[in-house]
This record gives sequence, structure tokens and C-alpha cells, in this order.
Amino acid sequence: MDAAGVLEVGGLQAGYGPVEVLHGIDLTVAEGEIVVVLGANGAGKTTTMRAVSGMIPRKGSVRLDGKEIAEASTDAIVRAGVAHVPQGRGTFTDLTVEENLRVGAYVRDDDPEEDVNHWLDVFPRLKDRRTQKAGSLSGGEQQMLAIARALMCRPHLLLCDEPSLGLAPILVQDMFRTLAQLNRDTNTSILLVEQNANLAMEIAHRAYLLETGSIVASGDAKEMLDDDAIRKAYLGY
Amino acid sequence: MQRFLQYLFDGLSSGAIYALLALGLVIVYRGTGHLNFAQGEMAMISAFMAWWLSSHWLPIWFAVAVSMVFAFALGSITEGLIIRPIGERSQFAVGVAAIGLLLGLNALAPFAWKVTVPEAFGSLFPKKDTDFARIGGATWRYENIGILISLLVVAGLLFLLFQKTKLGLAMRAVASNAESAPLAGIKKGRVLMISWGLAASVGAVGGGMVASIRGNVDSSMMLAIFFSATAAAMLGGFDSLIGAVVAGLALGVLENMVAGYFPDIIGQELKGSVSLLIILAVLLFRPSGLFGSRRVERV
Repeated sequence: MDAAGVLEVGGLQAGYGPVEVLHGIDLTVAEGEIVVVLGANGAGKTTTMRAVSGMIPRKGSVRLDGKEIAEASTDAIVRAGVAHVPQGRGTFTDLTVEENLRVGAYVRDDDPEEDVNHWLDVFPRLKDRRTQKAGSLSGGEQQMLAIARALMCRPHLLLCDEPSLGLAPILVQDMFRTLAQLNRDTNTSILLVEQNANLAMEIAHRAYLLETGSIVASGDAKEMLDDDAIRKAYLGY
Repeated sequence: MQRFLQYLFDGLSSGAIYALLALGLVIVYRGTGHLNFAQGEMAMISAFMAWWLSSHWLPIWFAVAVSMVFAFALGSITEGLIIRPIGERSQFAVGVAAIGLLLGLNALAPFAWKVTVPEAFGSLFPKKDTDFARIGGATWRYENIGILISLLVVAGLLFLLFQKTKLGLAMRAVASNAESAPLAGIKKGRVLMISWGLAASVGAVGGGMVASIRGNVDSSMMLAIFFSATAAAMLGGFDSLIGAVVAGLALGVLENMVAGYFPDIIGQELKGSVSLLIILAVLLFRPSGLFGSRRVERV
């Protein structure tokens, strides 16, 4: 692990009201890395993401490019360079595809036209639906749009919460291929939360295993795939 | 025909006022999902402010413009200080708080300005007996034409704001998906304060128009109008600006037609009940109104 951590989380505690879900977790994402957090339902994966982007009260340290953001508000964290694709409803369904992309560029002061066209070229299915309301898109298209929307702010770090949720298997493969390519092409660091462990592990550099709010294992994605005990317990084969 | 045109012209101006108030209701509803019961009283307070300014220092139009700024501050402070903190605990309580605000503002106006009788308010438009156009035998007073034009200007500016500006895009994003808006870097709290401020500001235009027609300000001036505006907002679909305008005008015309053609049964005294019937009918038969979006979500 080199020192140039884009994201360094230390002793992160978070939850909802009186219920603590995360009991002090540590994790890092290095420059240009894809890191996946695996875990069962209720392990705290989504809570981790929400805590990092400041959507829920949290304790502990969250450093982005070396700067502490644990006290910052969600919109300030976005401005600092974190884009978050939330689980499920990441799009603005009453807005058109193009407007969704423009909302994504809200924190930028320049004209986002060029980036709008760029991401529409990357996702040709969205290009065909440029002036349609996002709510009329299929689940897969909406997920693509949510990711493209997040990338419009040119983030250093992309948080993806279960991007495969509700998608047909063939689309899930597309989705992961897109994320891997994005990581290669733009060197954007990605923190990914997934239940679909097999595919996520294929594109990830490193992985963490989350169990009831604590990290129980971590390491190189390939080595973890080779570890029989981990594979049996978490990947199911 | 002459009679019909007369009711139409008269109806369009009362309808324009309903529409102005209804636009405010829609802006608030789209922002925070609340029915602002105090919308009418905020407009009343703003009209008092305009009256106070115009009776001491300012020309009437300028006074109304300043009262819009005052209303903006009143609306945004209300959202930030009352609506949001209460809404974080209970959404139901927000409705109760808004009703409290209605009663509070209603009592505050005469108290703050130490007035007990309606105070004379100048006219925003030419208002002499000869100031009208004659069309098809019916008279269309310049005042009524002016009110209708004011509505169209306000609605046009709102359309430009929502469709063509970055702030408008942010407001629509918050309306569409309040939870995800901050994830795009939008300062949601600020957008909501602006929404409430804008709504109150649009209401202040309505308040100024009402005062101008009446020729005075009085703390009860907006009560009945607020009900009609609520009916218009519901008929228009509650989340549609164009719906608020169309339904507001339609309701104004309908009220006047009903009152005019059935003077013995309905008449001027009972024409307000048309609004209540429309609220009832919309709730029963078409909850999403004429232009409202039926919320359909993928699960």
C-alpha cells in the first residue's frame, strides 16, 4: 500500500439514530485503484458509502487526498472530488438524460457541454435518449446514467453502491466492464460495494470483507480469490 | 355573447390572482412537499409592507417590488427556522406549524402596523371609470388586463428560471430526488430556502394586486383567495407550474360564470364554494390533477 491514498478511512463509526452499524472500520483506496467491499445483507456496505460521503452522522477519520472530510457536508465532499452513485435511485427521474448530466456538473463553473457529449458517446444508449425523461429509461440505462451523472463532476474517487442491483446478468457484465475501462482510461479510483462478488473481484485490485459492521479480512483481490476459506464463506463455491 | 365575455374578462383577473398564489403553493410543494397554509397570509403581510412603504416613502410599484424582497426573506427564513427543523422530527407537524403561521401572521399584521380598519392602498393600474377597452360589447378594464399581464410575466420569468438557469436546474433536481441532490454537490438547504422565498415573493405580487383591486389592505383580504388558490393548485396537479396558471385562470372564470349565470342560486356570496367542490372532485376522481405527474417508480 503506497502512501498516496486517495481515501483513507480510520476507525469509522456510523449508524442510524441509536443503532450503530459500523463499529470502527479502516480502509484505504490508493490512486487509480479499484477496491471492492464485500459482505452479506446488513453487513454495513451501504452505510460505509453513506458515511464516507457524509449522508449520515459519523465518527472517526475520513481523509480525501490527505484532507480530513469527516466533518464536511455532503455537497462539500462532492466538491472535494467524491462522486457517489447511490443504491437504486441515483437518477433524477423527472429530468431528461441531458439534464441529469448537467446536474452532475453542478459543482463545476465551466460549460459542461463537452463532457455531456463525451459521456453520451461512451454510453450510446443514453445518446439515443438524450431528451427523454430519465424515469422512462430501463433499469440498466438508468444505472449507466447514474454513473455518467456522477462522472460529470470529474471526481478523484467514485463510490458505487451495488451498481449491479436489479440488472439482467448480461447488463451486469457490461456494467463491470465499463467500470474497469473507466478506471484504466481515466485513472479514477473506485470504491465499489457489491453482493455480486465474483464479477466485482475480477475487476478489483483489492478487497475488504465486511461482517456485521467490522472488517474481517482484506487483501489483494487475486490472493483472496485463491484463499479457499474466504472463497467458500463469501463467494459461495 | 356580451354577457359571456364580461364574465370571462372578470374571471380572468380573479383567476390570475388565484394563479399567482397557486404558483407559490406549487413552488413550495415541489421543493419540500408541503402545502403552505400560510401562503395567503404571507402575501397579506407583504401587501401591508407595500402599503406602509407606499404611504410613507415610495411610489406604489416600487413599494410592491420592495415587498417582494421582504417576502423572499420572510419565506426563506420560515423554511430555515420553522419548516425544516420541525420537518426533521415530524412531517405532520409541519402542516400544523403552517396553520399556526397562518393564524399568527393574520393576527400580527394589524398589531405590527397598529391598524384596525382597512387602510387605503394606491392603484397599480389605471383605474378611472373610463379606463377600459370595449370588446364585443363587454368592458375589459385596464386594471384587469394589467393583472393578467402581470401573471403572464411572472409565469414566464419562472419558466425561464426553472428551464434555463443552473439554479432552476438545481431546484428541479431537489424536487425530483431530494436525497440524491446533495450527491451532485447541490446545497439542498439553500435551494429549499430559495424555493420558499421565491414562493412568498410570487405571492407578494398577488397580494399587491388584491390590495390594488380592493383599494385597501386588511388582514382578512387573502383568506378566501387562499382557498381558491389551493383548489387551483390541486386542479393543476400541485407540482405543475403550467397547471397552476391554467387551473387558476380556469377556476376564476368558472366562479364568475357560475355566479353570473345563476345569480339566485349561487351569486357572489356562494361563488367561493365552487373551489371547495373542485377540491373535493379532484381528490375523489383525479388526485394527480390535470397536469400533475403521477409518481410511478421502478421497484
